[in-house]
Amino acid sequence: MSRFFRRRKFCRFSAENVAEIDYKDLDTLKQYISETGKIVPSRITGTSAKYQRQLATAIKRARYLALLPYTDSHDI
Amino acid sequence: MNHYEIVLLFHPDQSEQVPAMMERYTNTVTEGGGSVHRFEDWGRRQLAYPINDLHKAHYVLWNIESSVDVLDELTTTFRFNDAVLRNMVIKRKEAVTDISPIKAAESRQDRDRSERRRDRDAESSETDDVDNAEADEVEDVVNSEEATEE
Repeated sequence: MSRFFRRRKFCRFSAENVAEIDYKDLDTLKQYISETGKIVPSRITGTSAKYQRQLATAIKRARYLALLPYTDSHDI
Repeated sequence: MNHYEIVLLFHPDQSEQVPAMMERYTNTVTEGGGSVHRFEDWGRRQLAYPINDLHKAHYVLWNIESSVDVLDELTTTFRFNDAVLRNMVIKRKEAVTDISPIKAAESRQDRDRSERRRDRDAESSETDDVDNAEADEVEDVVNSEEATEE
């Protein structure tokens, strides 16, 4: 048993009752990609399955439109 | 009739022709019996990664209601238009007319910038006033000196 009490993870989208995750909402999407540009798994963020699926599509759409990077090693 | 959301990335060198091109596309939609529900011009934006060795592109967001035939016509014109770097069409359930987060952030930035400029202008005018006042004082001193000489 771990001595430290870990704060319980929760899904922000379920809490705010979001209708749909928008691929244009970059400030929100940026919270769910790692420094290397990967999508952070729901086991880390605590996002519910329903919203994790929406999040993945939203991030992928934003990547296609060059609003978000695919990786941190794009040669710019 | 279906609702579609279209995002277009134009070549930055053809930025000036974007309004004309969008007008032409709008005409094809309205002639086909459709309508435009939202039109947003995001302007030239930095790309997250280079596309065709370009680092910037002119973004346009477009929500339309049209038949499948009209949309097919549009997508083929996008494909043969050299100015269109990339396009994305998404089917929507209903008409979206709200301002998008990107446009909202953009206008917020513009407002901040204009406010800052106004503040700076106000400050500079204040300092001008001070300078003028000092100059007046100096003149007064000179005048009084002249008076004593007389």
